[in-house]
Amino acid sequence: MNSADFIALLPLIVPALASVVLLLLITFSRSHAVSVLFTLGSLLLSFLLLFVAGGGTPRRVTPLFIMDAYSLFFIGLLFIAGIVVAVMSSRYLGERSMERGEYYVLLLLATLGASVLAAGSHFASFFAGLEILSVSLYTLIAYRRNDDRGNEAGLKYLILAAASSSFLLFGMALVYAQTGSMDFFQLAEGGRVPDLTVVLSAGLLLITVGVGFKLAVVPFHLWTPDVYEGAPAPVAAFIATSSKGAIFALLMRYFSLMDLQRFPAVWYGIAGIAVASMLIGNLLALRQNNLKRILAYSSIAHMGYLLVAVLAGGTVAKTAVGYYLAAYFATMLGAFGVIAFLSGEEGDAENLEAYRGMAWSRPWTAGVFVAMLLSLAGIPLTAGFIGKFYVVAAGAGAALWIPLIVLVAGSTIGLYYYLRIVAVLYGRVPEGEGGAVTGFPGRVLGMTGGILLTVLTFALLWLGVYPAPLIRILQATVARLVP
Amino acid sequence: MREALWVIPTLSYLGFVVLALYGRGLTPSRAAVVGVGTVGISALLVLALAIEFMTSPPPGHAYVQVLWQWMEVEGFRPPVSLRLDALSVIMMLVITGVGFLIHLYSAEFMRGEEGYSRFFAYMNLFVGSMLVLVLADNLLLLYLGWEGVGLCSYLLIGFWYRDPENGYAARKAFVVTRVGDTAFAIALFLIFTHLGTLDIQEAMQQAGRTWGADSGMAIAAAALLLGGAVGKSAQLPLQVWLPDAMAGPTPVSALIHAATMVTAGVYLIARTHVLFALAPPVMLAVAVIGAATLLLAGFSALTQWDIKRALAYSTISQIGYMFLALGVGAWSAALFHFMTHAFFKALLFLGAGAVIMNLHHEHDMGKMGGLRTQLPLTFWTFLIGASSLSALPVVTAGFYSKDLILHNVGTSESGSLWLWGAGVLGAFLTSLYSFRMVFLTFFGEAKGKASGKPGPLIRIPLVVLAFFSLVAGLVEMPSLFAYAGLDVHLFTRFLQTTLPGITASPLPLSVEIGRELIIEALQLGGILLAYMLFLYKPGIAGVVARTPWGEALQRLWRSGWGFDRVYSVFFIRPFVWIARVNREDAVDLPYVGMIWAGFKANRFLSRTQSGKVRWYAAGIGLGALVLLGIVVLL
Amino acid sequence: MNPMTPGSYMPTEYFPVLITMVIASAVGFGALFVGNLFRLKRAYREKLMAYESGNPPLEEPRYRFNVKFYIIAMLFVVFDVEAVFLYPWAIVYDKIGLYALIEMLLFIVVLVVGYVYAWKKEAFVWD
Repeated sequence: MNSADFIALLPLIVPALASVVLLLLITFSRSHAVSVLFTLGSLLLSFLLLFVAGGGTPRRVTPLFIMDAYSLFFIGLLFIAGIVVAVMSSRYLGERSMERGEYYVLLLLATLGASVLAAGSHFASFFAGLEILSVSLYTLIAYRRNDDRGNEAGLKYLILAAASSSFLLFGMALVYAQTGSMDFFQLAEGGRVPDLTVVLSAGLLLITVGVGFKLAVVPFHLWTPDVYEGAPAPVAAFIATSSKGAIFALLMRYFSLMDLQRFPAVWYGIAGIAVASMLIGNLLALRQNNLKRILAYSSIAHMGYLLVAVLAGGTVAKTAVGYYLAAYFATMLGAFGVIAFLSGEEGDAENLEAYRGMAWSRPWTAGVFVAMLLSLAGIPLTAGFIGKFYVVAAGAGAALWIPLIVLVAGSTIGLYYYLRIVAVLYGRVPEGEGGAVTGFPGRVLGMTGGILLTVLTFALLWLGVYPAPLIRILQATVARLVP
Repeated sequence: MREALWVIPTLSYLGFVVLALYGRGLTPSRAAVVGVGTVGISALLVLALAIEFMTSPPPGHAYVQVLWQWMEVEGFRPPVSLRLDALSVIMMLVITGVGFLIHLYSAEFMRGEEGYSRFFAYMNLFVGSMLVLVLADNLLLLYLGWEGVGLCSYLLIGFWYRDPENGYAARKAFVVTRVGDTAFAIALFLIFTHLGTLDIQEAMQQAGRTWGADSGMAIAAAALLLGGAVGKSAQLPLQVWLPDAMAGPTPVSALIHAATMVTAGVYLIARTHVLFALAPPVMLAVAVIGAATLLLAGFSALTQWDIKRALAYSTISQIGYMFLALGVGAWSAALFHFMTHAFFKALLFLGAGAVIMNLHHEHDMGKMGGLRTQLPLTFWTFLIGASSLSALPVVTAGFYSKDLILHNVGTSESGSLWLWGAGVLGAFLTSLYSFRMVFLTFFGEAKGKASGKPGPLIRIPLVVLAFFSLVAGLVEMPSLFAYAGLDVHLFTRFLQTTLPGITASPLPLSVEIGRELIIEALQLGGILLAYMLFLYKPGIAGVVARTPWGEALQRLWRSGWGFDRVYSVFFIRPFVWIARVNREDAVDLPYVGMIWAGFKANRFLSRTQSGKVRWYAAGIGLGALVLLGIVVLL
Repeated sequence: MNPMTPGSYMPTEYFPVLITMVIASAVGFGALFVGNLFRLKRAYREKLMAYESGNPPLEEPRYRFNVKFYIIAMLFVVFDVEAVFLYPWAIVYDKIGLYALIEMLLFIVVLVVGYVYAWKKEAFVWD
């Protein structure tokens, strides 16, 4: 490892170092503000270092990492998500009398794990990144120590993630046994995977099980609503975005490097998962009254949409995935952000009925929420629409008619529950005995919340109305991932 | 300065956003300041832009501002771009200028109404959309503005939504114009699939190259665009919605249903005039529709008692003139009449609004009268408006624009004596019904007592609009005046950079003078007849009206030639009948079934969310098994 | 055979390990089995009791431990397992040299930070 390698790897080194320093820091000073500022500062620094690291790309740093435009884009996305989650958490934890410093150590580590995944080019870094991410999440999910559901969620995630990791490891072992290499690029070179033996395809599909668990796609999705419900809202936002986005980045790199779309077993496996996720995710959300659970189901469906683009393959599909993920990040962070900022100490603001008529007493908060929901539903002029449009365009280009039909059907079902929330937001509050209309009982957004959510909303509309700059960025980064 | 083009529509939208979000919390005065202020600043900006455009025109007499590319998918790249040229400058001047005056008027007129800030929010949204409509450089953006103004029209007609009648009127306006909008949308698809672009200038050039003159595609595209224009501009056969649209507040009628939105059809045809020039049969259709509409609506206006309905029919009739001008290729004449019409018709509506307001919401002209002394300012301005509408020679703006149209219809190669005759007869009808309104409302014995006087915010717009109704015509003198040394053609010259001049065969001087004399005689005759029938000897009108023929005609005219009944018999009742027969809705069954299936599936799937970890782990195992099964099978 | 041909890779160099494992298991299980064949089987109550250094057992062997045991156990496992890394490091140290020293120092610094954290958290204080 020489200095050029070191520079290329700086965006990963900084958060790693920061988590250790922060751990030391909190042993001496338990100031919440210091922890938050330190976390934000180090994430911001890492983000800026991406531009420094970008000078020497593409660069293999040991067989474990590949720092190219593709990984830099996704790492950047993950850092931004980390910053947003940190801001959300600062308010969320701000008024709770619990140990708060460790939370940020774990958040930094989780972001690091996700970034390792985005830059991973080897089964070893794949697994290491995954475990850094997962182990941090076990604790983060159960961070509300006195909450039964939080503990339950943390334990469930621990057990199931461990089980799925074992599938993943076994799959890796089988692939290694068949190909003799754990290096993605070596696998890609010289037609190392000319044909699919039963053992190799079994290995690939077992890896799919492990990945599918993290992505929460059907039938590995069952944990999702329980964990989202039990986890603190900012952590749920992190699971919904960074954890999935990182895995997705890695999955797509692996897929296109090995050109796996050409194998029918893998193709049909992924297609089946995509179709089932789109349908079942949306159907499960139909009559749900808990907002966090609705968003959990919604995220299942969204991963299904994304898999359609993976199936399509090609440059358009990569742009589509990049765009969709960016839009999905902004939207999910915004939606969970609303919940996080409205949550008080007594519990998260997740009951849908509590939001009835909020638009009349808090027009701006409700407006932001509506914008997020419309983007999730893929209504034009929001980022979600352009993302979905790209996915459909990629799918149509590859003539994936059945997944596309299911995508449209799923989106239609999705409209129902997204608009149901909108209807509740704008609904009339049933008048009480005194005839007084009560406002939303939760907390106010506050300064940070107002600014953060406004920025996210504008980002959303900006991406929806003027997508050209991001598309240019994607074409310069993500789309250039060619094996 | 030009770079600030985008600010103009943005300001209005900004006003809308502020009012829509915070309208409830604003005091009425603040809401009015936001609503009127944004349009006022826009108007000033437009004025500055227009002066700059005239003194130092941009290269090619057009300036295109590309704001951004909306999306880019497989060859479909609609840019969001604005176009500043002579045509859009004229349109913008009228929209923001008249719009500002009407906003000012509304600030007082609507005072005390429920939903004051909502009103201004809609009005600002309207102005913004209308500006987008006229500034759009491609048909998609134009369509966006087109639908935006349609939406605002709907919202504002039904502004007093507590009365179901108003809701019906709003719905009628929306549904009827939708027929035209559909044609317009199909035209867009046609143009995009065949010409490969929605950029207006590019499409126009392509149309000439790809389709050529008199080809079937050009005719089809132009005819579909005409369908859109007819719906929006309330021309035959889709004129039925405009009289009912008077259910909205009077400033709305003045701004949307007289001055600006209803002339969007005229603008559309002028904007795509190259395409229309390629389709002579459609041009003829435009002229015939215009001529027929102006006559039918003129007769209907004669028999109305509701002052606003009379003005609505008059608007339909005057837009008929514009279509007539478009149909003979006199593009600038149509735009000229659009401009003067915007001034005097807005003035008439605002005057009528002042009368209605001071007579406690009385619309019936039969119950008015003698208001000349009670509301002198309203009377004088209304009189100026009516004179301008009747094209009183030399002193009013209406004279210059209408004269230009009739002159062009008479001399154009595609014009004919029949069309000219229809126009002249229409001019006679116009002065007859205009002065019928004046005499019934302001002369004779007072039947109602006006309460108070209009305030300054109502008087200023009236005076300003009256001023323009008099002098706005002076920028373009009739060709006859050239013989007297007054060869002024500022308006057509200005528009020449965008709209080509007319190909006309000059007439001998004697014929021109003769025609002019016929027109003037009929116009003045109309005023005189109105005086005779409605003021001097009101009995005569009553006698004529009581004959069986007279009664039948009156009923027919008052109901707008029975179009509503015809549509009711041929479209609405069959539709309602089908709807009733299909009460159980066979078509809906699959959808209902889908919903049912969705909820059933939800219930079934919800059971999988048992909360038990062992079950969840089993899910993972099962999934792995299925995937491995795929491996074995394939 | 080229070990890199897909689908045909066999880790032949580990074959002796497999043989060793088989022989070791055979010896172990075999010794037990043979002993079982020949030894005397005489059982009485004291002999069947759980062995607590000669004292009779006082209570059930399963009861709740103080949570502090778990913390201590966890810390022990963490630092013990980390120490295991020192062995392979020591073996390759000659080959990698200074670079390995820096890496191991970094590693130990991280461990020390963890240690300081645990200390400050009073994880080592029993009461």
